[in-house]
Formats: sequence, C-alpha cells, structure tokens
Amino acid sequence: MQSGLERATGEKMVLNFGPQHPATHGTLRIVLELDGESVLKATPHAGYLHTGFEKLGEHLDYNQYIVVTDRMNYLSPLSNNFGYVLAVEQLLGIEVTKRCQYIRILMAELSRLADHLLWLGTAALDLGAFSVFLYSFREREKLYSIFEKTTGARLTTSYTRVGGVLRDLYDGCEEDVRQFVTNFPKALKETHTLLTKNRIWMDRTKGVGPISADDAISYGLTGPCLRATGVAHDIRKAEPYSSYDEVTFDVPVGTNGDAYDRYLVRMEEMIQSCGIVTQVLDNIPDGPVNVEDNKITMPDKSDAYGHIEGLIHHFKVVMDGHGVQPPKGDHYCATESPNGELGFYIVSDGSGTAYRIRIRPPSFLHFQALPHMLEGGMVSDTVAVLGSLNVIAGELDR
Amino acid sequence: MSEENQVEEQPKPLVLEKLEANHADALLAQDESRGTIVVVIHKEQAYAVLEYLKTDPELAYTFLVDVTAVDNSQMESELMQFDYARFMVVYQLYSYQGQCRLRVKVPVHENDLSVASVTELWQGANWLERETYDMFGINFEGHPDLRRILMPDDFEGYPLRKDYPLRGRGERESFNFDKQNV
Amino acid sequence: MGLDFVGQGAGQTDGNIITTTIDKVVNWGRKNSLWPMPFGTACCAIEMMATLASKFDLSRFGSEAIRFSPRQSDLLIVSGRISIKMMPVLKRIYDQMPDPKWVISMGACASCGGVFDTYTLIQGVDQFIPVDVYIPGCPPRPEDLIDAVLQVQQKITSGASPKGVEAVYE
Repeated sequence: MQSGLERATGEKMVLNFGPQHPATHGTLRIVLELDGESVLKATPHAGYLHTGFEKLGEHLDYNQYIVVTDRMNYLSPLSNNFGYVLAVEQLLGIEVTKRCQYIRILMAELSRLADHLLWLGTAALDLGAFSVFLYSFREREKLYSIFEKTTGARLTTSYTRVGGVLRDLYDGCEEDVRQFVTNFPKALKETHTLLTKNRIWMDRTKGVGPISADDAISYGLTGPCLRATGVAHDIRKAEPYSSYDEVTFDVPVGTNGDAYDRYLVRMEEMIQSCGIVTQVLDNIPDGPVNVEDNKITMPDKSDAYGHIEGLIHHFKVVMDGHGVQPPKGDHYCATESPNGELGFYIVSDGSGTAYRIRIRPPSFLHFQALPHMLEGGMVSDTVAVLGSLNVIAGELDR
Repeated sequence: MSEENQVEEQPKPLVLEKLEANHADALLAQDESRGTIVVVIHKEQAYAVLEYLKTDPELAYTFLVDVTAVDNSQMESELMQFDYARFMVVYQLYSYQGQCRLRVKVPVHENDLSVASVTELWQGANWLERETYDMFGINFEGHPDLRRILMPDDFEGYPLRKDYPLRGRGERESFNFDKQNV
Repeated sequence: MGLDFVGQGAGQTDGNIITTTIDKVVNWGRKNSLWPMPFGTACCAIEMMATLASKFDLSRFGSEAIRFSPRQSDLLIVSGRISIKMMPVLKRIYDQMPDPKWVISMGACASCGGVFDTYTLIQGVDQFIPVDVYIPGCPPRPEDLIDAVLQVQQKITSGASPKGVEAVYE
C-alpha cells in the first residue's frame, strides 16, 4: 500500500479520519480519499476497541456473562442485558413471568430513550449544535436516576438474570417513570424547535448519505437506519418477544434513507417508546418477577441468610455445574435494540458455560455501509453521516 | 398414537420441500431447532444453495443476518456427525417476505479451510466474512478484500479457535510500537 | 490558593501587594485552567460526557475547555478499554502533548484491564504511559472524575512534578 504522501502528489489527497477524532465517538477510523472537497473513496477501519467478548463468553457462566453485555452498547445496556438473557431462556426453553416481561419491556424502552437521546446530543454536537447536547443530557440524567434506583448503577446495570430480573421495581418507580414520560415529549419538542426546521441542520442532513431500501437490505442495515429507507420492519412487531404483542405502537418510517430521515425516525421512535412505557405502567400485572425453578434462579436474600435450605440452594445455583445449564444445541435470538437487530447466537454443549457465543451487532453492518453513503459526497458530510448512523465502537468491535 | 399422528400431519416447511426438490444432493442434514429451521449444506454447493435461497421468489431470504463460525474441535458429538469437520460456518438468513428465519451451516475441514464467498449476493457479507477469517482463519474464496479486520494486521493466530488461550500468547505485553502504522 | 498574602492586616500595604514565587503563580494558573484531552473509547467516555454536560458541569472546576488536539492540552483522560491495536495511538497522542502533562486513568479497564482479561486488552495503560491519578470504578461516577481532576489540581499546587517528568529523570 502506498503511503498517504505518495498519493497526494497526484490529484487525490488522503485524509486519515480517526481513530481519535471528536466526531468518531471513540475509536472509529475512516481513511478518506479526496479530490478537493469531494470524497472519492472511503475505507472504514474497525477493531480499535476489540475486547474479546465472544472469547470471554466461552469462559464465563451464563449469569456472569450478563456483566459483559452491559459494556457492549454502553448507551443502552439494559437492551443488551435483555437480548442476551432472552437468548439463554429460549435455549433453556423457559418463559419468564408476565410481570418480569413487562418490567423488561419497560426498561428496554427507557433505555431506547436513553440511547436515542445520547445519539441526538452527539450527532447535533458534531454539526455544531451544542445546546442540544446539553438538553439531551439533562433528560438522560433523569433516566439515569431511574436506572440507578432500579438497578443500583447508572450505566452498567446488569439488571436482568436468566429467568428473571435482579429485583422488582422500587417503590415509587411508577410515579417517577410516569412523571418522566409526561414531561419528556415537551422536552423533545424543544429539540424539534431547535433542529427540525433549522436551516443549517436541514442543509447538512437532508439528502446527505442516502441509501436505497434494496441496498440497505443488501448491506444488512437494521433498526432506524433501515426504517429511514422506507422498510417498515421492526422485530418487536415481526417476531414479538416478551409480550411486545400486548402493547400497541407505530413503526415510523422515512422515505429517502438520508441522515435527515434517520433523525426523524429516531425522534418519532422516542415518542412511541413513551407510549409503550405508559401502556406497560397501566397494565403491569402483580406477581413474582423470577421463575420458580430452583435450578435457575437465586433464592431470596432472606432465605439464603436465614435458612439452611436457602443457603444450600444459593450455593448450588452459583456452583459450577449446578446452575443454569441449557441442553445441548444452538439458538439464535434477535431483539430490536435501539440501533437495530441485536442477535445472540449461543451454542451450548450442555455445561454451565456456553460453548460459543456469537454477537450479531447492528453497528458492525452499519459501519460497513458507510462508504456507500459517503462516496460522491462532500468531506464535511462524513461527520453528518457518521453521526446519523450511531455507530457504537463497543458493539462494533466487541 | 394420536399425538404422533398430529406430528406427522404438520406440513413440511416450504423451504425444506423446495431444497429437497432442487438441491437434494447438497443437503447433509435438516432440523428444526426452537422454531428455526436449520439446514446443513455440503461445502461445494454452499454458494449455489445460498443463491437459490436468496433469489427464489417464494423463499426470498434477502437479508443475510450474520456469518460466523464455530470451532467444534472440543465437541466430539458434533465432530463425528459431519465426518470430523472441525469448523462449522453458520449463516443466519431472514426473509422479509415470509418473516421467517433460516440457519444454514456448512462444515469445513481443517485441511481445506475454504468456503465460497457470498459477497456477490450480499454486500453486507464482506465484513462478516472478514471477521470470520480474522477469528478462525477460514478463507472465503472470491472475497474482494480478505484481510484482518478486528486484530492488527501483523497479528498471528486466530483468537476464537479453541486452541487459542483466552489471555493470548503474550501479544498484549510484547507488541511492537514501531511496526504499527498509525 | 497557594499564594501568601503578606502584610494583610498590618496596615502597610492594604493587602494590595502579594509576594510569591513565579512557580506558585504559574502553578496557580495551570491548576485553574487544565485543558483536558479526552481519550474516550468505551463506557467510561459516556460518563465523561455526562461529567462535561449539564448536571455535573466540569467547567465549575476550570476544565471545560475540551481539546481534541493533544498539542493544545495538558491533561489526558484515558477513559475506556485500550486494545493492542489502540495502544500505539494512545502512546502517540501522549507523546504529542506538550510538557508539563498529567494523565488520568479513568475506570478499571484503563487502570488494570478490568473485567476483560483477554488476549487483546492492555492490562493497564501505566505499562506504557505514566499515570498520575487512577479512578476506580466500572465506570466511575462523574463525581469520581471531578474528584480526580481536583486531585490533579492539588498535585499541581503542591509543586510535585507530573509522573511523566519523573519518568524522564529517573
């Protein structure tokens, strides 16, 4: 490969964008070949945050691995927790209680809000709209305080367990969440006022980085990026999991598949998520949150400390070779994470540790499609397009 | 008895019917696992079968969800099933039309580590195959740009193989700053 | 403040004259205008962004001038996992920063590898670059990051040299 300097002697110029650049949100790298201001060729590079998640899955037991899924898409760890345990539960062939399913939906939708909010803040920041960043984080902090009260952590939640969740919702959770979803649409309206008809924002995102529906499918785009092209596909609707068929919501779609449409789709999804959250709060049934299977779920803390049976139960569940042991076989389970299809392909050999865990990250395929959207555009569009895709490095490189 | 009859009465999934009719010689095994149809395909015909699955108007598996591999070297039962093929390349497909999933597996022997690339069929396969190459060392023939993607270019070994240790072979302590072109 | 107010109360100068050393004045200035270079790679970067944003507001401590160019900054915040592919980049960025420079290693991954004891992850960036302040936590809360910035400020006030300088003279 020629070095950048040699190539620049011709008409073209090579620009190295990242891995450390404010608009790459971490560790993305794109090598751009430019002719003046227009992009001739873009080559994305991945792997700067490769952590070995899949290898680690072969060494941790099923409940330990939940901790690792937090750190994959760190904008919405609750969605990752959810997707992973759902795969393990389907492999085990168990179904969790109704209340647990509703709690999981609630948390997944709140984390979708958190994810889209951070995307909104940083995408706008990249294009120079600093106030949107501050507005988004103001709302995010409210979500963080709900997460913290529920799970004990702001970001690395590790909330779900195989067969249930860590603990039931805290007292007063309903009021907190209701208050949030009532105020949130108003707060989002402020952002709409700032951006949606803003001439600079429209100029920089409309018609920028377009992709057709056919190309989007061929590239494997999912989630908001696919829906912005006009394909009304949502796994929550197509293959409803965990009681998603009991809530009603719309799937917003775009038309042009450009950065502006991706923005509008995400904005509308946030409103839809608020609707789902309200429905969940209205209909959430009472009952236990964990399945009653002593081989899978932990005993109550009072039992583990108070009775010898509880102690033995606790000991057996955490001891290697006695806890969660799915039967031999493999399973692929996809969930609609905020970014798109998040899939876990788990191969079990019948022991307490997965034989192989494969994570199908949405960002990996989104980042791959970047050259298709950039080539022929202007160099300044790079930031706008990259921002609109919401590529999360942790998920991209795993 | 009545239960058995009910099982027999279930219609065979369309995809299996069509595959048996058109690619019977390629089909090594078929199964239904937790709601997903799984087919194991002979390596030589992998490309033809995948192309058929994608282009057939009734099946239309137009979305390649994922490409990955599994190293079966520590799972004796799986190994024996397909003539001691160490690796299993796994394709996950989805049909927007039929809203159903399909898992296609292709056994690959260690002494002939290659599979036909499907980048011609799906543009998204490019990176997925590169990652499989990077992690397992499986060559995808006809791939336009088969290089490492997650690991540095000068990295040796294939991390997701079962004989590669979790903590590596000392790469993380002793890598060369100068060699990396940053 | 680190400055000595001489004569105050004695009535001779009405407190208008301050005697100090050049070092102390320089350090006082430095401490209150740290320009961080955020090397955010993973989860910790999100908490770092939260620290800079509306609720926690790092600018209260004089460090809001985030510079993404290492040549303009004097405080490197390494927040997130560093892989063997990323380490040369980090090293180069550290080398590009002008002296004196301080380094905060934010979170368990940057400090010691954290939960990821795997083939690709550097088990602590201090193997390759000198670190002044470590923040435990996975990820640390924004308050922890603010505390770390304050500790760097304290270190500057006390006149101690950054770890990087010590390493050069050793």
